[in-house]
Amino acid sequence: MSNLVMPPADRQILARREEIAQALRGFVAFESVITSEEELRPFESDGLTAYKQIPMLAVLPSTTQEVSAILKYCYEEGIKVVPRGAGTSLSGGALPLEDGILLGLSKFNEILEIDYDNRVVITQPGVTNLGISQAVEAEGFYYAPDPSSQIACSIGGNIAENSGGVHSLKYGMTTNNVLGLEMVLITGEVMRLGGKHLDAEGYDLLGLMTGSEGLLAVITEVTVRILKKPETARAVLLGFPTSEDAGQCVADVIGNGIIAGGMELMDRPAIHAVEQFVHAGYPLDVEALLIAELDGPAAEVDYLLKQVTKIAKKNNAVSVRVSESEDERLNFWAGRKAAFPAVGRISPDYYCMDGTIPRHQLPKVLARIRELSKKYGLAVANVFHAGDGNLHPLILYDANNPGELEKTEEFGAEILKLCVDVGGVLTGEHGVGVEKRDLMGAMFTDFDLRQQQRVKCAFDDKQLLNPGKVFPTLHRCVELGRTHVHKGQVPFPDIPRF
Amino acid sequence: MQTKFTTNQLKNPGIAEANKILRNCVHCGFCTATCPTYVLLGDENDSPRGRIYLIKEMLEKGEPATAEVTKHVDRCLSCLSCMSTCPSGVHYMHLVDQARVHIEKTYKRPWMQRALRGLLAAILPYPGRFRLIAGLGRPFKAFSAVLNVFKPTRSLGAMLQLLPKARLASPQTKRQVHFASGAREPKGRVILHPGCAQQVLRPEINEATIRLLNRLDIEVVVPENLECCGALVHHMGREAQALTQARKNIDVWLAETNRYEVDAIISNASGCGVVVKDYGHMLRLDQKYADGAAQISSLVKDISEYLATLELPKGDLDEQMNIAYHSACSLQHGQQIKTTPANLLSQAGFTVKAIPEGHLCCGSAGTYNILHSGIADRLLERKLAAIETVQPDIVAAGNIGCMTQIARKSAVPVVHTVELLDWATGGPVPTQIRAHGRTASARS
Amino acid sequence: MDGRIFKPNETREIAELIAWAVSENQPLEVIGAGTKRDIGRASNCEYVLDVSAMTGIMLYEPEELILQAHAGTPLEDIEKALKKHNQELAFEPADYSALLGVKKAKPTIGGILAGNISGPRRIKAGAARDHFLGVNAVSGRGEIFKSGGRVVKNVTGYDMCKIMAGSWGTLGVMSDVVVKVLPAPAGQASIVVLGLSNEQAIAAMAQAMKSDCEVTGAAHLPLDIAKKSKISEIKDLKKPATIFRLEGVGPSVTYRRDRLIAILATFGKCEVLKAAISRNLWREICDVTYFVEPAARCVWRISTTPGEAAKLVAALKKHGSVSAYFDWAGGLIWLSLAAKDDALAGPLRELLGHHGGHATLIRAPAALRAAIPVFQPQNPGLKLLSQRLKRGFDPSGILNPGRMYAGV
Repeated sequence: MSNLVMPPADRQILARREEIAQALRGFVAFESVITSEEELRPFESDGLTAYKQIPMLAVLPSTTQEVSAILKYCYEEGIKVVPRGAGTSLSGGALPLEDGILLGLSKFNEILEIDYDNRVVITQPGVTNLGISQAVEAEGFYYAPDPSSQIACSIGGNIAENSGGVHSLKYGMTTNNVLGLEMVLITGEVMRLGGKHLDAEGYDLLGLMTGSEGLLAVITEVTVRILKKPETARAVLLGFPTSEDAGQCVADVIGNGIIAGGMELMDRPAIHAVEQFVHAGYPLDVEALLIAELDGPAAEVDYLLKQVTKIAKKNNAVSVRVSESEDERLNFWAGRKAAFPAVGRISPDYYCMDGTIPRHQLPKVLARIRELSKKYGLAVANVFHAGDGNLHPLILYDANNPGELEKTEEFGAEILKLCVDVGGVLTGEHGVGVEKRDLMGAMFTDFDLRQQQRVKCAFDDKQLLNPGKVFPTLHRCVELGRTHVHKGQVPFPDIPRF
Repeated sequence: MQTKFTTNQLKNPGIAEANKILRNCVHCGFCTATCPTYVLLGDENDSPRGRIYLIKEMLEKGEPATAEVTKHVDRCLSCLSCMSTCPSGVHYMHLVDQARVHIEKTYKRPWMQRALRGLLAAILPYPGRFRLIAGLGRPFKAFSAVLNVFKPTRSLGAMLQLLPKARLASPQTKRQVHFASGAREPKGRVILHPGCAQQVLRPEINEATIRLLNRLDIEVVVPENLECCGALVHHMGREAQALTQARKNIDVWLAETNRYEVDAIISNASGCGVVVKDYGHMLRLDQKYADGAAQISSLVKDISEYLATLELPKGDLDEQMNIAYHSACSLQHGQQIKTTPANLLSQAGFTVKAIPEGHLCCGSAGTYNILHSGIADRLLERKLAAIETVQPDIVAAGNIGCMTQIARKSAVPVVHTVELLDWATGGPVPTQIRAHGRTASARS
Repeated sequence: MDGRIFKPNETREIAELIAWAVSENQPLEVIGAGTKRDIGRASNCEYVLDVSAMTGIMLYEPEELILQAHAGTPLEDIEKALKKHNQELAFEPADYSALLGVKKAKPTIGGILAGNISGPRRIKAGAARDHFLGVNAVSGRGEIFKSGGRVVKNVTGYDMCKIMAGSWGTLGVMSDVVVKVLPAPAGQASIVVLGLSNEQAIAAMAQAMKSDCEVTGAAHLPLDIAKKSKISEIKDLKKPATIFRLEGVGPSVTYRRDRLIAILATFGKCEVLKAAISRNLWREICDVTYFVEPAARCVWRISTTPGEAAKLVAALKKHGSVSAYFDWAGGLIWLSLAAKDDALAGPLRELLGHHGGHATLIRAPAALRAAIPVFQPQNPGLKLLSQRLKRGFDPSGILNPGRMYAGV
């Protein structure tokens, strides 16, 4: 494991481990407190396997009351808490702390209410993203944000990370599709935000919670919007001789006022890896594959498909395949959605990057990544949400080779800094977690970060929830609370004062 | 994933195989979504991703298995739903099989567990013994409710609950060749593996299989001296016993295939089929049997798989019947045969309904419903509720284990896919359907 | 010229000004063009921080779907620039100037975002906050900070844009903002179903929203409101009007229109309104034109569970005479009533506890706004959290103190 600095462990807390386990067993079923080293190991990592840390204890509550009791106890005793959904985070969001309790929400796996007339679903946070869509499928509805891990990732985790997905271009990210939640603060206080109505009352705490990466509160119930499935959806596979051509095609499509349901790009290594698993008929002889989906009324879709195909051909597309059935459309996407783990077939390990850039910078960034790939001697497979400029370079490595992980991290960091340099951001949808924590300074000034941390202090003044994530330096809340008083300097001296 | 085996450890072919499997896993967690125990329990340790991790740690350490790992590996149904879901090609089945062997060799179970497992291993694979013990136990079936109350006797209660009300048949002991008499030449020849418990509990399955195949001009040979395929004891980690049974079967089958041409070895219990198809892998290190095992494995076909290569006559039953098709784990995940049986039923004129959450196990899983009746019961309830939503007249499945499990509490008759196909093409009303009070339908 | 008004020209000046205000303990009323000054509890600040001098589009990249502008840029300047590239602000910002009796001032982009002022298309495209991508602002400490960026997909750090949207200038002064822009639909049409009761209209709108017709506006005007419309196609029919908007390319609109008419057949006959008339009608609905006169009446903006809207209004009518119309398929109710007593605040808030949602007193005499809570009172836990949040941005209580809640 590489050098990841986490907040120093509190030896006194560690010494009280047995006593703490005993106390927690007072709140939940005996088996729901996990204490043996063996059974804690599977929790030591989430989807970012480069980083591992066995937690002090793990606890798996089943109700909001249990969560409240556990957090209240931790607050009183000063014990750190790391919440975990399905553990599919690619930024280390659920990486445990040596002296922390891992709070797993995976037992919260029931859908509570489906309200078609108001177009919402109320669910527990451990329900999977796809599980929500499946629950409303029979009536022709679905939940729009569809991260590639949707079969397994939890809706609570989606909210923590503000997950996106292939269809985010047209239908928004998690934050645009959440209407309410129930959450528990570190003090044990249970709060409800929003509901079935559409607007926040007062401060948009719901918007703040979404994307807060488990640092502000623990989510115990979620209310999301559901949409009627479009009348039809068709996908088209477009193969290009270069990624520059593909990128330009995307820009032209948007420039022509077409907002596709989704537009995804894959490069040659990625195409080959997924074709093995999915057999969707991906062309194996192109440098870049663009999967575009148009959805809506049939006539509109046909019209737009023709437009998109025309634009593609103008941009040198060498292969065009339109889906002729629903099964075929799903098959086209199956490969893209399984792209990350399918890459596991061609490499023992991979490091999935996530950055966003202004779309027109795509060719330049790709070229630079190719240069870096040669410099570091590590292969890269690229997958993009081309519609919104969100990049996922997958760096292929072998953790069993000494030093390779460190090289990979360096390579990744260079890519992310490049994203910021060309006017983009460090992370489009995977979150900062631990992975990009130490790069926050590339994007934010000290003032920016302090202001964000003050928000944290309003929720968690002892900084017990998920410390060591997102922010590189932890300032104490007392320190952040001080005001600076300017003496003497008076602006606008020529304006009269009364 | 990163693994930490020493070069010495990797010299062991089992470890080398485990290492290869583990390195394929990227810890993505997709498998957790379709794992029945994770869906029920919500504990990472009871998910494939978690078990893979536990097994990795256990094998890397090279120490005896602990109670904790054993508990979680025991809870695995081996339904292999995870393998269907895994995008990285992790061969979970071979990994968990190895883990079970390691546990069996190194972990000393509490004496009651040892006794129970020993009992199951000594009885279930031997139809004669099974019939005897089952016959003795049947009068006590009513006491199963009482036995279920106390944890130590729960498995006993579960076993009693699984005993059927119908007659227990005698297993076949002599070699039989089945073919419709007459001037016709057989269009093909297959060996039928009669199974073990299946012969005693539901002899009608083999009877229907033979009738149907004969009707299609296929000669069916049922050899003698066949053993249980080894699935039951293999899933308990008793590798030696399983391999002994496998070798005996291979000898019998090779004797047949050496005598004359055989198109396929038919299995009509998918729980067996999946294991016999794996004989090639199980005996790959056995110098004497490796080739024979591979040959046999390549010949094995599930009955539905084989029927799909033949031209079935159109079904001619009068009435419309809704069939809920239950896709056995060993068939859909183990053998990756997903739509074939349902297609055959549709072509035969039945209305086939898919059961929601079809990828989730019914809880039978070999001896699982005896050893872990708590979880098995919850899965059964869930499956029955799902079946209920499609309001079927009949439930069809391709595996004796599932049929026995679902029939415990099903409101409608539970029959084998082949029984329905036989019925539709000229055979008699399936036994269970008749038992539920339905008479033969008119033929058009 | 009022010497109490400060009009900074750049971010640095805003920072200096606020720093001065902190040191002098002088709260500031923060305004853009001041069109929505009278929303919220009345200000009793001596000094005003007027951002309207900070205008100008800084960056507009149609193909990247982003536009960056100084916070004081008039909305109409932005809309003009977008129109040239066939784009728009999809959340359909409203202009409440007429409603609030403000002449000679037009909304700024900063004000729109600070109030989360969204129009009828919110049901399809999201609210203003959903299009707010990045911000440069100055906190109540006089510190300049930024959040977000100029890309549409970004989760780096907390989503401070969300917390700034709808904060009514109480957390920070925005100096420039980045918004998401989208292609403007080529055309539109509206369908009107006549003669439905409020309950029937809610049911009809639910059906429309549950369909795949991609409805971008669903509103219901009861009879008294329909009669106030300036659109003769509505006014002259003298019936309650339930209106659905469809936007897109011609053939698509036609197809979906016919499909929606078929879906709504059980509710009644449908009239079709062509693009120009449709546009004007939705402008009325968006800007609450119906309640401009008489100006003395109070106006509530109620956000509630769409399916409960008709029941809520019916229950409220038992307590007094009110006039109301529905937008967002029932999710948004505009209500006007006489300015007396507590303007039915008590019963309204109690009913909302039952049906879900919240109410804001958008227009009322200053005295009334001082006497009753303008924004929905919060339960104790939420109140304390909001206060802590406010202190994190503005510990000295300099920016629009008391604008939303007493003491915040």
